[in-house]
Amino acid sequence: MQGYNFAYLDEQTKRMLRRAILKAVCIPGHQIPFASREMPLPYGWGTGGIQVTAAIIGPDDVLKVIDQGADDTTNAVSIRKFFARTAGVETTTRTDEASIIQTRHRIPETPLAEGQIIVYQVPMPEPLYRLESSRATAAKLHATADYGAMHVKLYEEITRFGRVALSYDYPVMVNERYLMSPSPIPAFDNPKLNMSPALQLFGAGREKRLYALPPYTRVRSLDFEDHPFHPGRANAVCELCGADNTYLDEIIADDQGGRIFVCSDTDYCEGRHDPA
Amino acid sequence: MTLLEARHLYKRFGTIEALDGVSLSLRRHEILAIVGESGSGKSTLLNVLAGREAPDAGEVLYDGAPIAALGELELRRLQRSRWGFIHQDPRQALRLNVSAGGNIGERLMAAGGRNYGGIRRTAAQWLEAVEIDPARLDDYPRNFSGGMMQRLQIAATLVTGPELVFMDEPTGGLDVSVQARILDLIRGLVRQLGLAAVLVTHDIGVARLLADRIVVMRRGQIVETGLTDQVLDDPHHEYTQLLVSSVLPV
Repeated sequence: MQGYNFAYLDEQTKRMLRRAILKAVCIPGHQIPFASREMPLPYGWGTGGIQVTAAIIGPDDVLKVIDQGADDTTNAVSIRKFFARTAGVETTTRTDEASIIQTRHRIPETPLAEGQIIVYQVPMPEPLYRLESSRATAAKLHATADYGAMHVKLYEEITRFGRVALSYDYPVMVNERYLMSPSPIPAFDNPKLNMSPALQLFGAGREKRLYALPPYTRVRSLDFEDHPFHPGRANAVCELCGADNTYLDEIIADDQGGRIFVCSDTDYCEGRHDPA
Repeated sequence: MTLLEARHLYKRFGTIEALDGVSLSLRRHEILAIVGESGSGKSTLLNVLAGREAPDAGEVLYDGAPIAALGELELRRLQRSRWGFIHQDPRQALRLNVSAGGNIGERLMAAGGRNYGGIRRTAAQWLEAVEIDPARLDDYPRNFSGGMMQRLQIAATLVTGPELVFMDEPTGGLDVSVQARILDLIRGLVRQLGLAAVLVTHDIGVARLLADRIVVMRRGQIVETGLTDQVLDDPHHEYTQLLVSSVLPV
């Protein structure tokens, strides 16, 4: 493509991003500030994820982009096309074929492997955001690992609802040191963060922060001894492939109030009912 | 046994000497009242002693070691486990949109408490200890009266069993009958738990009721110090005489 550098961003910007990524990998779960650039799409559509992907992608990479688990939604299709045009890389919808997976809201059902990189689009990187209005104070709380307030939040959830009713963006402790927002993935996906063989990178474009989990990092969802973490899941099976162990989307099927449940991970679902 | 010691503290705000060479010491299980009128530097002294503000010069020693050498992390740890701070306005310390149980549990959870049932039981016990009906465990402090909020703050501070508590006008802004009950409560708890406390007040009556020793401050300096009864019954410095004589006779 004429007039653009490989993968859209100029090389200086990519170097800045790579320095931040290296630092993030060295301090798992710690938020690193970076000079987020204007991207040709609005904040909230994945500017952080795109910048991280642009900084790490090479000509030999194979890219998969998912949005809410699906490969065929507007956002996923657009970002995949964006890199196909600006970097000329091969794209795929198959989890096991991809070397880089950019994602919003899900971790694929197919287990990730060593050598793969998963890039999360993060709207709000600060897990203490709703508890502590000052970012300076929040930074101090991270520095002193003062996370009592987050447990107070969980305590309140159990007191009010009988269980922790957070269904997404469920806070995790990384390496027993940093409290981290896993981005708005469902709590169901939280266990997949733990000891993952893949490198996990998180980019927040509007908030200008990125953070990372190197392969095989311990990630623990916060809980109480007598109220252990429970990954939530609709009590149903997939209408299309019959899976009873995947994260399901509820879909309205007709105008008589009929509803069906289907796998949110479209690639995994297709692989099961239509083996290629 | 000296628990807390201040050596030649200086602190200046613009042209005002808030602390002008203040030294004092506090022993284990001792209650020290700092009295003086508004602007005498007593709140500044309390904040400096509690490590919430740094002095311009001088040092504060806790258990013989200067707190300035602790580093922020250690100091925070100290402040949230072995020390406590009770504000005049409980709204400053409490989370108003978090239940009473959650407020009491915060220090326990910050200290690593991870058993929901256990935290709840402890919180209920503490509500009882500060004379709040344990049935209000799940109620929000914003629906509490001023006196109840103050008692909740006391419970939320003492739950981790601190050995040193800083109190900034703990009964200020409450009406007189509520004040009396809270003073009674503080006096009972402090003796029962063997706490050491530094208490800032402008109310001579509060100092007389709670304190073992008194420090009288004026314009950033300590003008008189001694046992409570001694200072209040036989004040030597003219400013102390003025303070004592200005108490309304009941």
